[in-house]
Amino acid sequence: MQTHPKTSIIDRIEETVIAALLGMMTLLTFANVVVRYAFNSNILWALELTVFMFGWLVLLGASYAVKKGSHLGVDAVINILPDGLRKIFAMVAVTVCIIFTLLLLKGAWDYWANFANLPRTEGHWFPTGFQDKFRGQGWFETNDIPHPAFLNWMAGVFNDGNAYEKLPRLVPYMVLPISMALLLFRFIQAAISVWKGDIDTIIASHEVEDEIEEMRDMRKESQQ
Amino acid sequence: MTVALLFAMVIGLMMIGVPIAVSLGMSSVMFLLIFSDSSLASVAQTLFSAFEGHATLLAIPFFILASSFMSTGGVAERIIRFSIACVGHFRGGLAIAGVFACMMFAALSGSSPATVVAIGSIVIAAMTKAGYTKDFAAGVICNAGTLGILIPPSIVMVVYAAAVEVSVGRMFLAGVIPGILAGLMLMIAIYVMARVKNMPSGEWAGWGEIGRAFGDAFWGLMLIVIIMVGIYGIPGLTSAIFTPTEAAAVASIYAFIIASFVYRDMGPLAARDGQAKSSLLRKPQALLTAMFHRDTQRTLLDAGKLTITLMFVIANALILKHVLTDEQIPQQVANAMLSAGFGPVMFLVIVNVILLVGGQFMEPSGLLVIVAPLVFPIAMQLGIDPIHLGIIMVVNMEIGMITPPVGLNLFVTSGVAGMPMMRVVKAALPFLAVLFVFLIMITYIPWISTVLPNAVMGVQEITN
Repeated sequence: MQTHPKTSIIDRIEETVIAALLGMMTLLTFANVVVRYAFNSNILWALELTVFMFGWLVLLGASYAVKKGSHLGVDAVINILPDGLRKIFAMVAVTVCIIFTLLLLKGAWDYWANFANLPRTEGHWFPTGFQDKFRGQGWFETNDIPHPAFLNWMAGVFNDGNAYEKLPRLVPYMVLPISMALLLFRFIQAAISVWKGDIDTIIASHEVEDEIEEMRDMRKESQQ
Repeated sequence: MTVALLFAMVIGLMMIGVPIAVSLGMSSVMFLLIFSDSSLASVAQTLFSAFEGHATLLAIPFFILASSFMSTGGVAERIIRFSIACVGHFRGGLAIAGVFACMMFAALSGSSPATVVAIGSIVIAAMTKAGYTKDFAAGVICNAGTLGILIPPSIVMVVYAAAVEVSVGRMFLAGVIPGILAGLMLMIAIYVMARVKNMPSGEWAGWGEIGRAFGDAFWGLMLIVIIMVGIYGIPGLTSAIFTPTEAAAVASIYAFIIASFVYRDMGPLAARDGQAKSSLLRKPQALLTAMFHRDTQRTLLDAGKLTITLMFVIANALILKHVLTDEQIPQQVANAMLSAGFGPVMFLVIVNVILLVGGQFMEPSGLLVIVAPLVFPIAMQLGIDPIHLGIIMVVNMEIGMITPPVGLNLFVTSGVAGMPMMRVVKAALPFLAVLFVFLIMITYIPWISTVLPNAVMGVQEITN
């Protein structure tokens, strides 16, 4: 369990994004039900858009969860270690996380790049350079989501000026490299905090840690 | 052999404090990069397909959101009041009411720790005040809280349905009878113990109190009706109205409306700064402001956070599942077990042991994503009903959560009751024995799980 610093502006932004995405997912799914029964119609793109928002919510939120130390983990072993050893374990753990995120960042870039007419990186483990030749897939559209007017500039940049009917796939998949970069940033921050001794673990053992912490505080107050 | 290495790595990383999600993902990525030609891009694709390719999982954030709205204020209290009015006058009545309340709250929320927190924080204190020992109270709630994942709607069941591609609706129905049965068994055990030890009983408050308490809890309990009727329709009148995912979204909106406009526990109409609850007639603009109110944002954020941590584990577990199926591990395990001559009984015992041990350390939904695809093909070959297998797995994980030394619910209860872990472990033991008997019944009497889904939705053909 970590102590939570005060809410900053960045916190507010991240929290608003999380709340807004979840709220919109719910409203959109609900609206689709209403439309089906009240107007005997169907918002064709509702499901696909909701699913993409779901992916954005979790992938973008993963870095927020690192910052708040709420990723689930097993603390049975590390809890019985002496302080010094626990710090070493925490450093190893956070290093594993950083390596994992670096690998995924390469994977995320490689997956997304061709959709945005950009070169993938070469190399099995580490990026060793960019592809010389590749076939861009900027034309690849989603199944149902209409292309919004404010993104019309994309046709010129990614599709040789041919207008998009549906939202191109490069938009929803863009979250992959972005979220992995953010995740990497947060894990590095966590590593620094562990190194400095501000936190001694990067995990939470269960989903209700905050609530139980609150209860513990209340019990202390009532005993005084 | 290499697979043993894979699992050893997962467990090793988890033990040194790496987040479960990263342990699963890292081990899979290592395995893929070393032993196969798969590229990292395909790993990223698998990660994203956790969302894009599994629309069933979309029900999870909505169920979490509905239960978050329901947990904002006094819904737990209202349910407890209703339970006490119904069964409080028996000997050991408050404890029985605690179990009853856990059962009802389990039907509003899909998670066990959440049930322990919501009901336990009130009932444990009330029981100690009424003259029960704190240990007894903690033992009761710790066990009854596990019903959260068995009584539908249940997040773990959604995950199972997505992992092995069975219908969520069937899984939910299959959980109904086992959930009620487990609750009844706990209640009977409490009643017998209360008789023997002469525990206190409450006063019979009369049918009037039952009616009033029910009226008060009615709007909360209606959530269950909306979900169940939505998914299954009213027999004889309508067919299914929503998909399970839609039912969950409708339930969230309903829970939001009830919490902000009917119960007024949160949002612009709630009582605060010494002012009483306001009425919608006096503050009609609340209809709009409620949607952007601080409390609504808070609840959305809390539900979002929980969704993120759970789904990040599940998404990474799906990468591992991808590795396992690519390497045809499930088939190999199945062949090994079948050629060793294991029958259904032995197989189920092995599943029990794997899940009881795994359930101690790991978040149940993540564990399910990994274990389900491994045991599913074997179960099909042995002719075990997929729905029955699902219920067995859920009950196993329930018990894993309260099995010492490190069951998850034991930790949560120890936090809620403010008791040392070892005391909770001891307190939970007698009821743990009851749930073990229940597990044996569930494992070897498939009828308990399959009768209701087969009756409502027709017998399912097992294709293999």
